[in-house]
Amino acid sequence: MSQISSSSKKGVFSATVLANRQIGQRFHRLRLEFSADGARAFAQFKPGQFTQVDLSSAALPPEQDTPADLLDASRRELLLRRPFSFADVTAEGDKTFAELLYCVVGPATLRMTTLSSGDRVSIIGPLGNGFRILGDKKTALLVVGGMGAPPLQHLAKTLTSEHAEIEVVAFAGAKAASELPFEGRLDEISQQLGFSLPEFTKYGINSIVATDDGSAGYRGLVTDRLQQWLDEKSGLTPDSVIIYSCGPEAMLAKVAEIARDKGIDCQVSMERRMACGIGLCQSCAVECRVDDSSQTTYKLCCEDGPVFDGREVVFV
Amino acid sequence: MSERVDLSVDFAGLRLANPVFTASGTCGYADELGDFMDVNCLGGFTTKSITLKPRKGNPTPRIVETDAGMLNAIGLANIGLERFIEEKLPVLERMTPAVFVNVAGETIGEYVAVAERLATEQAVAGIELNISCPNVEKGGISFGTEPAQVREITAAVKKAAANRLLMVKLSPSVTDIAAIARAAVESGADALSLINTFTAMVVDIETRRPVLANRTGGLSGPAIKPIAVHLVNKVYREVTKDTGTPILGMGGIRTASDAIEFILAGASAVAIGTWSFIDPGCAAKIVEGLRSYCAAKDIANISKLVGSLEAGRNLAH
Repeated sequence: MSQISSSSKKGVFSATVLANRQIGQRFHRLRLEFSADGARAFAQFKPGQFTQVDLSSAALPPEQDTPADLLDASRRELLLRRPFSFADVTAEGDKTFAELLYCVVGPATLRMTTLSSGDRVSIIGPLGNGFRILGDKKTALLVVGGMGAPPLQHLAKTLTSEHAEIEVVAFAGAKAASELPFEGRLDEISQQLGFSLPEFTKYGINSIVATDDGSAGYRGLVTDRLQQWLDEKSGLTPDSVIIYSCGPEAMLAKVAEIARDKGIDCQVSMERRMACGIGLCQSCAVECRVDDSSQTTYKLCCEDGPVFDGREVVFV
Repeated sequence: MSERVDLSVDFAGLRLANPVFTASGTCGYADELGDFMDVNCLGGFTTKSITLKPRKGNPTPRIVETDAGMLNAIGLANIGLERFIEEKLPVLERMTPAVFVNVAGETIGEYVAVAERLATEQAVAGIELNISCPNVEKGGISFGTEPAQVREITAAVKKAAANRLLMVKLSPSVTDIAAIARAAVESGADALSLINTFTAMVVDIETRRPVLANRTGGLSGPAIKPIAVHLVNKVYREVTKDTGTPILGMGGIRTASDAIEFILAGASAVAIGTWSFIDPGCAAKIVEGLRSYCAAKDIANISKLVGSLEAGRNLAH
């Protein structure tokens, strides 16, 4: 029943930057082009898979353009690559285009902001296992927390283009409107008018926004909004629904709990500090239950994940 | 000229195609690097640490990046001896590099049991004795900081696996690494590998806690390279030059130039560790870089470079 999105031939590829566009206070979208072997490898990139990007040779922005809270971070040297998923991947002819949505949080993403059209970036991928699309589902709920957006935007595209029979609804939550990594108006008025997140609207998907402070959409946790939505949809058959989620671990834990209580399948995309992304360093351990027993084992986020079944993960 | 360069080295009686290894814990169990390079271009391969029983390893975070380096505290997570023999050895057997299996344990008895079993396997050229892991409560480094302990465990493992090469991996977190090296060599070590990581800590100033769940981890990467070169040279001058024991030198190597520094300082072979995380094909590039260096310098056999530091001041700078 499950269609395993296995990783295709991975490798180290050079991508060309086509654009690097700021879409919010700390959010940017990097458009990348792969050609030749890289184009072939990334044409197979599945939603939920990830890449390891080398930003060590990218320049820092001038000090006056560096946010005050990142000045210390800007003085740090970079050694390791950084893991990123893609928000969109499109193969066109002999090129593959990818959209990398990022938030400026530290020394690597600070350097990423200075990349400009024509720059080359070394990227390892495609890595890990993506979301599994199950054929027996009629409804897919995408639950995004903050910067968990990219793989679910990519999944939204794949679901609507390849599985038109599945109804998709997106939920997006953050502390405040300014921490939602989407373009366009996110304020309360827009929500009341039924204004939906353009990243999902373009695929014909309705989105429900929640912020802790009420600065956009529903005031409260996105998981409360999910719970409420499910409670109101009394006609849903749990077997026909699947939840896909990516975001902070506390949110994923709650999503997994809601799914379990409702008897709904749930896949969560996990995040861990990782050095290599290819199974060498063993640092990205995710504690998982062994077959419903009280035993647990560590799986690797990079190779066994980053997408896991919500029931197997022992959340931190 | 470059095709005429002989990169082969004698390593405790083993003829290696070239002096480049991948370091334990950075290259998986067998062919995990195969997507990124031809692993058969290596001279040697050291596996991830194997223990008698499988180990889950430490909770996360297990790593943190530092300037020019990183800390890891994996905690010897591994699949255990039996699964290693069943699943990984057949893959290793088909590979051409000399295979050293890194062995760890909590007691001398465990080290001995693993070594004894591995010594019956054709695919295993040697054992790398891990008495320098800084990230486990029992075993690991606790066997590697006192010469008397080093003598006891080295002799016991050598006896249990007398028909295989024994390479002892040394910690830099000791007062006198040469004293440890001497203890290992005098107790039966056929080779030494150095250095393992330095015990280190990074603090999160927001939460006022160590970043790593294990509190401390082992520092590796370019940051430690000059210290590693110094320690290799110290052990070479004070111990192994006289005994003829080969050194597998490692610590922050990312280029052929780095590797040559180690070789000049006294290493017969070198291992690539942390840099494989960033560039998983780098070991193959370093093999080619060594070839180019020898060709440019008209060096017919790379083994001539081992320990060939010139005496006197360097007037080039």
